[in-house]
Amino acid sequence: MNKKQAKVASRTLAALALAALAACATPPTGDKELMAEFEQTNDPLEPTNRVVFQFNQGVDTVVLRPAALAYRTVVPEFGRDRVGDFLSNLYAPLTFVHDVLQGEMSRAGTTLGRFVMNTTFGVFGIMDVAAPAGLAPHSEDAGQTLGVWGAPEGAYLILPVLGPSNPRDLTGRVADWFLDPYQHATRDADWARWGRTGGSAIDGRERALDVLDDLEKTSLDYYAAVRSLYRQRRNTEIRNGKAADSITPGLTQ
Amino acid sequence: MPTRRSFLALAFATCAMLAGPATVRAAVDDPGRFVTTMAQQAIQTAASPGLSRDARLDRFRTLFVAAFDMNELGRAVLGPYWRQASPVQQTQFLDLFRELQVLTWAGRFQDYSAIDLTVLGVGKSPDGTVAVETVIARGAGGQPIPVLWRLNKSPEGFKVVDIVVEGVSMAITERKVYFSAMQSLGGKIDGLLDIMRRKIDQLKA
Repeated sequence: MNKKQAKVASRTLAALALAALAACATPPTGDKELMAEFEQTNDPLEPTNRVVFQFNQGVDTVVLRPAALAYRTVVPEFGRDRVGDFLSNLYAPLTFVHDVLQGEMSRAGTTLGRFVMNTTFGVFGIMDVAAPAGLAPHSEDAGQTLGVWGAPEGAYLILPVLGPSNPRDLTGRVADWFLDPYQHATRDADWARWGRTGGSAIDGRERALDVLDDLEKTSLDYYAAVRSLYRQRRNTEIRNGKAADSITPGLTQ
Repeated sequence: MPTRRSFLALAFATCAMLAGPATVRAAVDDPGRFVTTMAQQAIQTAASPGLSRDARLDRFRTLFVAAFDMNELGRAVLGPYWRQASPVQQTQFLDLFRELQVLTWAGRFQDYSAIDLTVLGVGKSPDGTVAVETVIARGAGGQPIPVLWRLNKSPEGFKVVDIVVEGVSMAITERKVYFSAMQSLGGKIDGLLDIMRRKIDQLKA
């Protein structure tokens, strides 16, 4: 992290701390079941989070969503898939680091194999040739590694511009600045760093266009829906896609 | 964040709900077949052209209600507030909830007309529901989407109680959303019913 980034980060944190002081959600009193549900939701900063969420919605409406829509209009699906493959290949080294940190050696092997194959035969990653060959993609980050190590997620958090998070994932974001081999490889090339970040933002937003539009339209409480979705997705990623409860196989009745 | 692809899975999963009651009975002992047959029938229904929006919605409603345990889902979604509601409120809630779900899922499925669903295995969850693990294939080069179906067995056959797409449970998400809505309403059921009515009007518009 350079000085400028550190300054931005510390300001953001300060703003968040102030906002956190400003309002806290009131827990329901009396009913045990309601209390349990409230604690499970684990969003004590909800009033503040909702304000930041609204702000982010504004930013999304003005900047990110139109950009994603334009991207979808201008670039055909085949092209978007190539961009997506290329970007995800740039994250492969980071995924590899976390596969190792999580002790998942077989998955680390997969990631390494994918990176080598896709960077060479896949021409710098624009064509995911490893997946059809049986090496399915997955992605890891420091937030997931902390989760695997047993760190609790902490209270739900909406970060300005960046969106849903929690202390564990926020810590992960910062850690990944230092851990990501790509960040080191592009130390003197800001365009490459910001290019990947910006590209991933638009690529990701384009993929989420339909599901988020639908969720916003149909949901009684969009904020709560996104909160639940974020949490479930992250937990699934931490479990590497395995089901939350153990399913006894072989039953047919 | 969910991706466009998981949305497709949702949409496809929805198609699979279009099974007629006859199919439900035919597949009464085989949960895997219940899910696949639903999917196939769904495609046939979805592909049938020449129906007006209202007619298609009516048809969807019949199929949806037959394949889903909407009362169970509704009760679960209201959670701790269920027993605080009067019997009249409970009935009203279930009616509105059913209609909201029908409109929600009808909207999700309407643009799609093909599904390639494979049953990976059938098991039993700790909560006693039957779990059918499936993957839905995507077009060129995409990774298949894992979709887990949770079924209850009733005298009329299987009924879906939850669909878990890439680890995201529809039932849990809805439960959280309704709980949150009830919290902001200070626990007033009638307030919730009003919001639900407004949402239904919005979706019908």
